[in-house]
Amino acid sequence: MKKRLITLFTASTFVILAVTGAIAFVGPFSLRVVGVHALAGFLFVALVALHVAASRRAMAGHLRSRVLWISLAVTALLTVLLWWQPGPVRTVLGWSGNLGPALDRFEIGERGMVYRYTPDPSYKMVLEIRTGRSYDPRNPPRLAIWLENQSHYHIKTLLEPETEDREAMLPYWAFKVRGWREALEEARKRNASLDELVDAVSSPTENSSFDPADYILPRKSASPMPYRLMVEINQPGDPSEKVEDQPSLVYQVEIDNFDPKTFQILERVGYPAKEENREGKTEWSVYYIDERFDSALDLIESALLTIERGEAEREGAR
Amino acid sequence: MNSQKTSWNRRHFLQGSLLGAGAAISSTGETAVAADPGAKEPEVVQSFDVLVVGGGTAGTVAAIQAGRLGAKTLIVERGSQLGGTMTTGGVAFPGLFDAWGKQVIAGIGWELVKESVEMDEGEFPNFAKVPQRHWHNQIYTNQFLYAILAEEKCAAAGVEIAYYEFPQAVERTEQGWQIDCVGFGTRRRVTCRQIIDCTGGAEVVGMLGFPRLREAERQPGSFLYMLGESHEPGRNQIHRLYVHGADSTNSRTATQANLAGRKSILEQVRQKKQRLMHLQPETGFRESYRIEGETVVTVEDYVSGRFFDDAISYAFYPVDLHTRDGVKPEPLKPGVVPTIPLRALIPKGSRDLMVAGRCLGSDRLANSGLRVQAACMGMGQAAGVAAALAAKQGKTPLEIPLADIRDLLREHGQIVPERA
Repeated sequence: MKKRLITLFTASTFVILAVTGAIAFVGPFSLRVVGVHALAGFLFVALVALHVAASRRAMAGHLRSRVLWISLAVTALLTVLLWWQPGPVRTVLGWSGNLGPALDRFEIGERGMVYRYTPDPSYKMVLEIRTGRSYDPRNPPRLAIWLENQSHYHIKTLLEPETEDREAMLPYWAFKVRGWREALEEARKRNASLDELVDAVSSPTENSSFDPADYILPRKSASPMPYRLMVEINQPGDPSEKVEDQPSLVYQVEIDNFDPKTFQILERVGYPAKEENREGKTEWSVYYIDERFDSALDLIESALLTIERGEAEREGAR
Repeated sequence: MNSQKTSWNRRHFLQGSLLGAGAAISSTGETAVAADPGAKEPEVVQSFDVLVVGGGTAGTVAAIQAGRLGAKTLIVERGSQLGGTMTTGGVAFPGLFDAWGKQVIAGIGWELVKESVEMDEGEFPNFAKVPQRHWHNQIYTNQFLYAILAEEKCAAAGVEIAYYEFPQAVERTEQGWQIDCVGFGTRRRVTCRQIIDCTGGAEVVGMLGFPRLREAERQPGSFLYMLGESHEPGRNQIHRLYVHGADSTNSRTATQANLAGRKSILEQVRQKKQRLMHLQPETGFRESYRIEGETVVTVEDYVSGRFFDDAISYAFYPVDLHTRDGVKPEPLKPGVVPTIPLRALIPKGSRDLMVAGRCLGSDRLANSGLRVQAACMGMGQAAGVAAALAAKQGKTPLEIPLADIRDLLREHGQIVPERA
């Protein structure tokens, strides 16, 4: 009974690992998904140990089997291959929406917020948001950080709030992500890449790739591939003299590996508002700040983006 | 010195243009000059306060403004209509009148564009919306209506129009200038107090021997056409073909540009086997001569939004240098709105002579943003005010108090730069 329980538990944990692994591979980075995957991994290791202990007699029998040694050898070979990452493996990894095992960290302090993103040892991005007078660390605002290509399409969300109200609080980011997901789905249905799909409905845009790696870790940094880092911030329930709740605000900075700058200040673009386009479809656009805003303008005093590019990236080795 | 504001009545326009409805070919009213092929060429001798040479976007506005201020004004245009780049070139999206959510260029140019769009039941962009690309706030204008409205406004302001003519000789006189213009079947001698050179390439300035600047290689011009689908004026942009080396310096270089452009378009028609639905009469030129002004606006002045002490108009457009490889506009930083100084419209060392339009005193990169039509309209209006005041007071434009020029510009609906 005990042995069967451990076996079933190990199998169900493996399912969790497999599903979250697949989601983490294809979807944008999510601390939740990666968290579940990592913790389930620890649990899986413990359960495997228990399973081995509970099945030691059967395992001892396997030790004499040639099949065991063959399977161990194949596993070792596969591991080396995946570690070494030859071309075909890298191609498969390139399909990931996650740029591989990106390391990122978000910290909130008294004076501001710091987001660190290191998708590769040769590339370090740090966004330091110095908070203004309206910022309350006990009730921090909702914040999303994402990347957009030259054609203003979302290509990767770097940070999103984990609260239920995130889409309502950050409607511009939510709109962009929704459009990207819909386009991904459409591309999947048509069995086409996202680039091909967008080129089909607009004009081919040489420097509007949907692969974040083309911007962050470009194969060739000699050609311009500008992209934008976007920030949307919103303090829930912050009235002004004109409105009961001030809308979110959008900030941006353009980055170009062709013309790299170590430090760049984000600029406040405006606030998002919903409208209907000519086809009757709802979309969000950014409008210039008007008289309805007061305290929201002081949520962020300044936002500084620092990018350190290492030798490996400059040489074009990815 | 009264401002003549014309309220357009669409019904009157339609009635006028549809006289004789039912006939297969519409006709105009009776023309004032009888044609007699056997007669000797008429010699016209006239005197004006202000002569505007070139009826493009800047010249048209300058002439209307001078006329509205009561100056007796003649506008001489080598082509057959007013509007220049907007109408003959077909670039019927005249640049940007707004910056960062606010209108920065208004006045007569805006009046013309607005009326053209409204009469055409066209659409204006939402200027409160942040454009994702600078051209999202371009206003698609009906170029044909624009040309006719410009003529109507000239007539209302008392401006005389001379098409198919161009100055042959310019001489300094005690009172100002004597200019001999030639058109087919017409030799016209004009005396005037002030000249506004709106030829694009500062042709009059060149004839007078004042220094001009020109790059070894000009930006390509654009020939506008429509292949395969019908052209809807005032609704969208039409196809554009780069004419490399297009140079509007003289009739020979302009001829070469037009021949090269049309030849390429014909090749496209043959290759694509599509119907040619629209073709502008000539290339839209971007660059030829610029004056060496009393002030030369540099690209640093432009991108930093330098406030000139004698600023008379705003400009707003990315640094937009076209090359053989295309163009990568360099947008202005948030909040930056460049200004245009009056002294950039005055050829160095000159009197009673101004320019307006793309030939203003500027370096090449600054010029790539200043040359767009909206900015040219702003310059034209300022030049019209300065020249009219100078003609009336018997002074040169630089001797007119700047406050007087600015006050009149405001009175006539223009937005005058203010120090932040």
